[in-house]
Amino acid sequence: MNLYIKLISGSLRSRMQYKMNFLVSSLSYGLIMAVDFVLLAAILQRFDDVKGWNLYEVGLLYGISSVAITLYRVFCVEVHNFERYMIEGEFDSLLIRPVSPLSLLLTRNLDLSRIGGTIQGILILVISIIGLNIKNVELFLLLIYLPISILSGVIICFSLGLLTATIAFWTQRIKDFQTFTLYAPFNAANYPMNIYPGWLKIIFFTVIPVGFMNYTPILFLLNKGGTLWNLALPPAVAFVFLFLSLRFWHFGIRHYHSTGS
Amino acid sequence: MVYWILLQKSFMRNMQYKVAHLINNAASAIFGFVFIAIWVGVLQGKEHESPYSALDMTYYIAAVQCILWLSGFLTAGLNIQNGVRNGAISLELVRPTNFFLYVTSQEAGRLLYNFFFRSIPIGLVFALTVGFYVPQHLPTYLILCISIFLAVIISINLHYLVGISACWTTEIAWAHFVNFTLLVGLGGQLVPIDLLPAPLSFITPYLPFAGAIYYPVMVFLEKASSEVLFIQLFWAIFLTLINLWLTEKARHKLEIQGG
Repeated sequence: MNLYIKLISGSLRSRMQYKMNFLVSSLSYGLIMAVDFVLLAAILQRFDDVKGWNLYEVGLLYGISSVAITLYRVFCVEVHNFERYMIEGEFDSLLIRPVSPLSLLLTRNLDLSRIGGTIQGILILVISIIGLNIKNVELFLLLIYLPISILSGVIICFSLGLLTATIAFWTQRIKDFQTFTLYAPFNAANYPMNIYPGWLKIIFFTVIPVGFMNYTPILFLLNKGGTLWNLALPPAVAFVFLFLSLRFWHFGIRHYHSTGS
Repeated sequence: MVYWILLQKSFMRNMQYKVAHLINNAASAIFGFVFIAIWVGVLQGKEHESPYSALDMTYYIAAVQCILWLSGFLTAGLNIQNGVRNGAISLELVRPTNFFLYVTSQEAGRLLYNFFFRSIPIGLVFALTVGFYVPQHLPTYLILCISIFLAVIISINLHYLVGISACWTTEIAWAHFVNFTLLVGLGGQLVPIDLLPAPLSFITPYLPFAGAIYYPVMVFLEKASSEVLFIQLFWAIFLTLINLWLTEKARHKLEIQGG
């Protein structure tokens, strides 16, 4: 853990050498996500709800999903950009270090410009909770559970990111896969799962289980259905998925062949 | 002609990544399905309150997902910023070719590739699943071709504007973010701009972003008259002139600094 903090703080210092660039990119990244939500708000302001979910209820889903994927983008930059290690042959240098390649990847870099997206996601969550006007036990339960939901989302996102990165051992390039495994599913998770056709729902609750991160628990927390199990499922699914992705990652490393150049 | 050859080379270079692009197409279709699901969910039982039916919005989103590959997803800054960073731009600007055409013809080659290997496959996926609108009147096809052509010119120019700004700012990531957000947000990617709340619904029809996405889609769906071409034409000419002027300014700046 000490090593992790040292490596991260080093990365942070190097980033802060370009303060203006950091500020402007954070703001613009936050702006992109804000515009997305403003458009959704424009639709729901005019048409009230989407299959029984009003703006603030969708805002909860949207906020959790946004915060989860942006935290992944802040802390897991090198996992996300892993194809560079394959294309430029840099992975060999990670294998000869006394620390595991994954730990090195996770501590090498931070993309703080994505923090703007996290802040924007948190703002949407705050606005939504205020707008929902829920009280006492329900509010308390929601506030207690939000961090668990976000953490489950980050773990699911990281697992999907790692699974996609592992594919690079065979395909080298993964950018096009990421649109399929990360961007599209997390975009879909911004909205309630009940609007999707059956085959999409199956995908989002099995191979790319983003539906568990926010839809499953919020369904129960907003009294829209489900049981207490809805609260236990997100972390459980996240850890099972993490375990599977780590296994796949190690399988990938065992089958890695350097170009020798 | 050299620009035609550059366009062809760019097309051929993109052909190398056909398989990866096909996977990406699947993701693009999923984005489309998500947006269609949102609209179908929103309009369920409320179609009488909306100028668009659920089927209209299905066709709208399907068409948008196809046109985005022609006038939405362009190379950030048309890669001009890379030349600024590594100094190559000093050579590119003194070549006996027009720098503006040199850069834009390469992007045009990529967009032509996108039409065949992105827009058409994605359109086919929608046609086989949720349905894809087919214009009913023959003149629509001619107006559509002009509208798409102008949309491409507008979008290439918007991206060129971001790219050439690197001569003064070096870093363009944020400018690209802002440009892209405005393009998809005010261009009508998710919400047709006439459904935006006031005052946005009054302003956006006259902005270049609508000319890049919304108008060609509405022409395709036969919901816009050919008069929208004039708005597109204005922006295509205006932005081109601005960019030619800025290119001259950039060249002048380089000459002063000595490259």
